[in-house]
Amino acid sequence: MSVPLISAAETTPNVAASQRLVGALRNLLRAILGNRKATAGVLILLILAFVAAFPGLIAHDNPQAAIYGVNLGSSSRHLLGTTTVGQDVFSQLIWGTRLTVIIVVVVSAIATFISMIIGVTAAYVGGFTDRWLSLLTDVFLILPTLPLLIVLASYLPSGAMSMIIVLCITCWAFQARQLRSQGMSLRSRDFLLAARIRGERTSYIILAEIVPNMTSLLVASFLGLAVFVVGFAAGLQFLGLGNSSQMTWGTMLYYAESNGALESGNIWWILAPGFAVALMGAGFALVNYAFDEIGNPALRPVRKRRARTPA
Amino acid sequence: MRGRRVLTLIVAFCALAAAGGQATIATSAAGNTEKVGGKLVIANETGATWTCQFNPFNSALNFASMGFVYEPLEFVDILETKSNGTSPVTPWLATGSTWSNNDTTLTFTIRSGVKWSDGKPFTANDVVYTFDAMKANATLDVDALWSVHGGALTNVALQGANQVVFTFSGPVEPYFYYVADQTPIIPQHIWASLDQSNLISYSDPNPVGTGPYLVKSCSLDNIKYLRNSHYWQSKPGHPVPQIEELDYPAFLSSTPCNLELIQGQAQWGGQPLPNIKTSYVAKDPAFRHYWFPPVEDVSIFPNLANPLLSKLAVRQAISLAISRPDIAKRGESGYEPPANQTGVVLPTFKKWYEPSLNTVTYDPSKADQILEAAGFKKGSNGIYQDAQGQQLSFTIITVSGFADWDSSLQVITQELKAVGIQITAEDENSGPYVTALESGSFQLAYAGGGGPYPVDGPSPYYELRGLLFSGNIGSTDYSRYSSPSTDALFNAYGAATPAQQVTIMHQIEKVMVDDIPFIPVTEGVSWFEYENQHIGGWPTAANPYAQPAVYNLPDDGIILTHLYPIS
Amino acid sequence: MRYIVRRLGLFLVTLWAALTVNFIIPRAIPGNEASAVLATYHGISPAALHALEIEFGVNVHQNVILTYFQYLGNCFTGQFGLTAQRVPVLTEILNKAPWTIGLVGITTILAFLAGTIVGVVSAWWRGGRLDSFLPPLLFIVASFPLFFVGLILIFIFAVFLNWLPLGSNYSMAVAPSLSPSFIGDVLVHAILPGATLTIVTTGLWVYSMRNNMITTISEDYVKMARAKGLSSWRIMLDYAARNAILPNLTGFAMQLGYVLGGSILVEYTFSYPGLGYLFYTSSTDHDLALMQGLFLFYTLAVLVCVLIADFATAVLDPRTREA
Repeated sequence: MSVPLISAAETTPNVAASQRLVGALRNLLRAILGNRKATAGVLILLILAFVAAFPGLIAHDNPQAAIYGVNLGSSSRHLLGTTTVGQDVFSQLIWGTRLTVIIVVVVSAIATFISMIIGVTAAYVGGFTDRWLSLLTDVFLILPTLPLLIVLASYLPSGAMSMIIVLCITCWAFQARQLRSQGMSLRSRDFLLAARIRGERTSYIILAEIVPNMTSLLVASFLGLAVFVVGFAAGLQFLGLGNSSQMTWGTMLYYAESNGALESGNIWWILAPGFAVALMGAGFALVNYAFDEIGNPALRPVRKRRARTPA
Repeated sequence: MRGRRVLTLIVAFCALAAAGGQATIATSAAGNTEKVGGKLVIANETGATWTCQFNPFNSALNFASMGFVYEPLEFVDILETKSNGTSPVTPWLATGSTWSNNDTTLTFTIRSGVKWSDGKPFTANDVVYTFDAMKANATLDVDALWSVHGGALTNVALQGANQVVFTFSGPVEPYFYYVADQTPIIPQHIWASLDQSNLISYSDPNPVGTGPYLVKSCSLDNIKYLRNSHYWQSKPGHPVPQIEELDYPAFLSSTPCNLELIQGQAQWGGQPLPNIKTSYVAKDPAFRHYWFPPVEDVSIFPNLANPLLSKLAVRQAISLAISRPDIAKRGESGYEPPANQTGVVLPTFKKWYEPSLNTVTYDPSKADQILEAAGFKKGSNGIYQDAQGQQLSFTIITVSGFADWDSSLQVITQELKAVGIQITAEDENSGPYVTALESGSFQLAYAGGGGPYPVDGPSPYYELRGLLFSGNIGSTDYSRYSSPSTDALFNAYGAATPAQQVTIMHQIEKVMVDDIPFIPVTEGVSWFEYENQHIGGWPTAANPYAQPAVYNLPDDGIILTHLYPIS
Repeated sequence: MRYIVRRLGLFLVTLWAALTVNFIIPRAIPGNEASAVLATYHGISPAALHALEIEFGVNVHQNVILTYFQYLGNCFTGQFGLTAQRVPVLTEILNKAPWTIGLVGITTILAFLAGTIVGVVSAWWRGGRLDSFLPPLLFIVASFPLFFVGLILIFIFAVFLNWLPLGSNYSMAVAPSLSPSFIGDVLVHAILPGATLTIVTTGLWVYSMRNNMITTISEDYVKMARAKGLSSWRIMLDYAARNAILPNLTGFAMQLGYVLGGSILVEYTFSYPGLGYLFYTSSTDHDLALMQGLFLFYTLAVLVCVLIADFATAVLDPRTREA
């Protein structure tokens, strides 16, 4: 699919790892700044990460404190108004970022990890194992995600932990196919042959040799997954299947919808968390889109009428 | 009363003949031209499309048949209390009833001249058959009349041509409500030919009853009712019912249902409308009204088996720490009045209420004192803990989908935190929620109206007995409270005179305040919106002749016999 | 031939997996069988409730394996049991299916067409005005949650401008019939939910179509066609687009699963009484039989589409037959 940013070392992995890392980071930075979409996306994600880490710096009200006037419109005191119980919407939005971001990041990471293990094992070990793992992947790809999520979520006790579990179960298969085909293309490389001759175990080869060479694809998978996880997590909570006492954007949407916010004119209460979810999704999508362009030069935007270097 | 009278006169077309708080059936309201006509559209969201089944014993479906098609023996208006301490009873399919043998025998005289909607005559045999069918099928006996503690029904028999005698094993005067008001009478000539062991599964698609309406047609989205032109209450010159057609559309969620009301396409609403004054009333203030009479408590139930919650000090602290008016205003948008620790719903049951007993009211500093006196100390995180280091930190379960309860719990959480008690709300789907309530697998629970079992009735006895009588542990006694002296009070109530019953109720209130077996927070209401430009005869706060919600059974049928078209 | 057999094999295995998942999950967590019963029968005494449980056959401790095979057998004979309100599950599903199929079917076709056209055109004229703004915009919108787009549309068109209805599939005032006024009413109510689905899913097709097109355009045979002097349009449509669409077909079927799932959220947001809303209510009511039946329906729908797409690809694209 995409060409890795870091060229796979054909020789033994004893080239100074730190040197490789620095070089890779420099490449990354250049790639990001050179691509408008990447810049926008990374900026969005950085802002969200900052808000998640330091909510107190931005919003000073306690998001749970139901002490203000109910259903107030937006004003300088309450930037986004108040809820039907008298809580400050802006504070809820800011403080809700953390748990939302945590859920998305944790799920995407775990699902990518599972995806990778299964995809690469299938690719490397091949044969029977490959057939069964591919079958497993296909089955999970076909099972419709949101219905499966709803079925699982309605039976497990509500909460962030359950949500993480059910999301991982339903989303791991999304990227497994690509990871498997990447694994297939790496399978015949010399350095792997060298490792096999050395007598290394299969699990070592998979984890310590193949995986580090797939970093760029793993990152791409993580990002691609994150776009969907954001929507699914928010969707589950919006339906009321999350835990309503935990502060996330999704539960804000649930309360706003249940209390008829849109119809009764308290629009920021329902639109603001919706915007936030869309923003996070867009951030990941932009970076993902740009990643594909960076990795596959054929996809890069053709810039006309901007004569850069002479022929 | 006088101020209210003036108010009703101001509202055009809506002068009701209210007199001293007691409503009667026979008088026509002013503005009633005794004409027949018009159409009434109902706005009640049930969350599902219609199944077109009308079995009156199926509590998932009977809101569409009980009252409209099926009727009770006598109607008890739980919203009114006469000066002698009883609720007004209106003869319906029975013309009267008497208790005898120390309240162990109840004899009904059955009305003559009533016809089933298929033309066959209604007789006392139908009444006997109905109750015998309930005996044979526990699934039909929704109020457990044949199996209840301390006074189960032992026999139902015909006496003479038109009397039915109910024999109980103990004095159970309060059970009159369930026998007379809550049981739909079914036609023997139709039901007796069905599989008697499986009556609950009978879908009853074309219900035959004695009621004011017939089911004209039913589709997934709408039930159409047509007036029963042979209804037994009709007299020459006084046709009953007067509204010709009813539409009962199915709504999957509250938004489109609320919209029907707001846009004026429905006239009888059973919805908790958000911002009702601005979204509904303001659109047509002359004719749009709402009234939410309180009928039961919504409470915090501590599991008394929990070692920390078994300490009276902790429960007292919880009750002292919450500001019920604040929770009512924020959590319930002011629609549900604040409750009180005696457990008596006001103003509905003020006859039984003794104000001097209500000594546990909002006082957070006293909560602190009580906890410290009991040996609790605040930890570094601001939460009290006992000598062994056990924190006053609990989970409280509630039902998914009750957004107002979630909101109330947000406020409660905050107020309890201020006195060093921490609670975390957990939403559960209604199935696991009910299981947890019954089996006592919870620490705190938020429950009450909307819970699984009937606790409404014409006095606080019904709710409080359900929640406090030890025989109900495992069903409605969520806290698992058990006290022989309290049990004795309830048992004595069954055999007491109305005046004695008030005294006994005061003693039960004292138990509520002294022992704090549970903590009432707000009062659950009947949701009711109506417009009286085209339809008159509604129950109001000034004339509470029936519970007004379209889902209150059989009160909905009583209301239908009162409504009339305004041209 | 082997290809067809393999794909059929995948079909059967996935079907079996879906049935098994359906069976296992509710039973894996204890105390859930009676939930549906308890949830809907409110206001009755415990004695009546226990009698109901026996009557409905829940909480009867049968051998699990036996129940499993009974369940599988029942599925194949079309017996999906009764809902919590004692209506046959199959009847409920068939009643609601036309609404969802109509909504999802039409919007998917619209989105596919729109997305494909935009993808083909913007790939052909790379870097042009259309290409630099429409695909990225559509792709970003595709990352928006469906319910959010729905809420925005509701806010703009139903609340603020009051041009379109807030929800539901037809208004109470019009009785269901085949008259033009009823059909018109249905269409008006379908505009916003349909627009939500179309707007969001178009981006997905644009993305994949454009990438495929770009890759195809750089192939030799396209260059050859250009060298031969064929008109741009002819090359774009007959040579490039035709080949670029092929990998999309299987993707189309897979994405259908995503769209079906998304239709649940859209139907919930618009209170649109189709299968999606039914699925939502069955999950909150813990209506086991209904939830199982619907989950099976969704899986079957996706499976059938994948199978059709696979066969179509096999017929249209000789390359796959060598696999």
